[in-house]
Amino acid sequence: MRRLTDNWRSTTARLILIYGSFFALWGIVVIGLIHWQAASYLTRVSNELIGRQADYFSMLDEPTRRHALNDYVSLETRHLNAWGLFDAHGRSLAGTITALPPGIPVNGAVVIVPQGLTRTDGHSHMSVRAAAVRLDDGRILLVTRDTSIVDRIGTIILQALLWGISLTVVPGLFGGWLLSRGPLRRIHAIREVTLPIMHGDLTRRLPVSRRGDELDMLAGIVNAMLDEIERLLGEVKGVCDNIAHDLRTPLTRLRARIYRLQQQFDEDSSESTTLEACLSDTDALLDRFRALLRISELENQQRRAGFDQVDLAEILREVHALYLPLAEDRGQQLALELPQLPSIRADRHLLLEAFSNLVGNAIKFTPSGGRVNIRARTAEDGPWVDVCDSGPGIPVDQRVAVTRRFYRAESCRSTPGSGLGLSIVSAIARLHGYTLEIADSENGARLSLHCRDAASA
Amino acid sequence: MPRILVIEDDDVTAREIAAELASHGIDTDRVADGCEGLARAADPRYDVITLDLMLPGLDGLNVITQLRAQGIATPVLMISALSDVDERVRGLRAGGDDYLTKPFAPDEMVARVDVLLRRHRQQAQQTLLRVSDLELDLVRHVARRGDTELSLLPTEFKLLEFLMRHAGQVLTRAMIFETVWGFHFDPGTNLIDVHIGRLRKKIDTASCAPLIHTVRGSGYSLAQTD
Repeated sequence: MRRLTDNWRSTTARLILIYGSFFALWGIVVIGLIHWQAASYLTRVSNELIGRQADYFSMLDEPTRRHALNDYVSLETRHLNAWGLFDAHGRSLAGTITALPPGIPVNGAVVIVPQGLTRTDGHSHMSVRAAAVRLDDGRILLVTRDTSIVDRIGTIILQALLWGISLTVVPGLFGGWLLSRGPLRRIHAIREVTLPIMHGDLTRRLPVSRRGDELDMLAGIVNAMLDEIERLLGEVKGVCDNIAHDLRTPLTRLRARIYRLQQQFDEDSSESTTLEACLSDTDALLDRFRALLRISELENQQRRAGFDQVDLAEILREVHALYLPLAEDRGQQLALELPQLPSIRADRHLLLEAFSNLVGNAIKFTPSGGRVNIRARTAEDGPWVDVCDSGPGIPVDQRVAVTRRFYRAESCRSTPGSGLGLSIVSAIARLHGYTLEIADSENGARLSLHCRDAASA
Repeated sequence: MPRILVIEDDDVTAREIAAELASHGIDTDRVADGCEGLARAADPRYDVITLDLMLPGLDGLNVITQLRAQGIATPVLMISALSDVDERVRGLRAGGDDYLTKPFAPDEMVARVDVLLRRHRQQAQQTLLRVSDLELDLVRHVARRGDTELSLLPTEFKLLEFLMRHAGQVLTRAMIFETVWGFHFDPGTNLIDVHIGRLRKKIDTASCAPLIHTVRGSGYSLAQTD
């Protein structure tokens, strides 16, 4: 049945996924751009600030510089700024930074100190920029500023991005799943209708809603196609039935004429014998037409008015008794195996006809001395009736064809018969919702009718 | 001479029925309309009525229902283009006596009319049937040919009863199949012949004159040969 993952296969869900990922990607790009812009602006501002301050401090005289440097540190409440004074050899003279970062150029250029700085007042920096200038007396002044705020802004922006995406994507996906349920429900409704159509009920049509969307357009097209198929099939069947029907009347008259003519001759005359043969040929033709019309009658019979609870075992016993003398005459054994069978809902007359056809067929195609077995077995979803014979069997590639009208296996063209027996059986089976199965038996063919309980089907 | 009312709107079929019955010495009157048919059917001189089920005016089922409602018991042979079992059951339930599907073989029609004619004449329920030295006791369920008691299977007994009740009449295979087995489909092959053959072997032994005769092209008849 329907799985949860099915929802993601719908067009709506796919569209939402595509749009969702597109917007998420675009959001990442935009926020990345903002981050890059903000970071470079802050970096530029820091660099300018540090460079200007280093220049400014280097130009002051000693006492003023001390004041200014102390102010520089204490005015900044977040302890971002620090300084250090070193002699020409880099030894610490004053300030909270006691070691020159290795390799720093002493020319006022602002550089990033990748390894961070240690301050004596306990406020160490991890992300820091620094500028070193040489004073007039040869000493070195180092001015530093913590720039971790740039990174922190990056983190804030990244967090905003993650929140934004999750707040967009999660409801988006959920909404997509919800939205795709509607069309899927309609697909399931369509599937429910197509099953009987596939089984031959061409009167059914796909549901069309009033929305007139693409699904409805498609259903409309399919329905128009079904109309056409139904019309064509009806025409073909109508032509077939009409031919059978129209030919039957003149044939019946022909038979009557031959019959009357035959009555005028002596019973043992050669004319009478010839006319007798004519009569039996005409009878065979009439039988064939009768069977053909019977099939179309069965196929048109959609209603189940004649259905009632019937005793399957009783029907099989009747059929067995009916055919036993015929089998014995042909030197065959006709066996009946009946377990305890539940009563089934069916048309008694049609079942009798179906089983008569099956048994008659089996007897016809079984050689003298052979064996035909009528066997019933119970199953969960309704009893099975097997008719097994020890005849030539039905080749696998001809098993579907034998239920078609007029089809006769190549090997039995010489056996008399209309070739319509199994078509009648399969028409009766279809009417009941039963299945006709053709298989091998131990030494011949096995034709089984599965009397499937309509309630469990 | 027996007289039959043919209620049939199709001229060709009506003519066919009339001609075939005339050749068997039966007079016919023909009516083409249901209402008129109902009016004429009340005439007690008719021995049998053949009734088309699809008629202008009043349809066949209505004709037969009203006929029976008026207490007229003339046997009716229904003739219809519909071979459906349901249709047949509906017709028989309405009060019809037999059912024949169009197109029909004339001898089949005559055989059925013949059965209805005789039923009309001898309504008494017999319990002992006798043809020549063949005896069938329906109460004790015993069959006897001369002094020999015959052991018959249930179906064979029913078959013999049907043949003996209509001794001297031609019974077609379809009639036998419908009456004895109650089946309304085409059994195909020579199924009925085999059953008759069985019965024949038990009844017509070499020592006595055969009673069961094959009527070529039609069916069977049980009768004493003169």
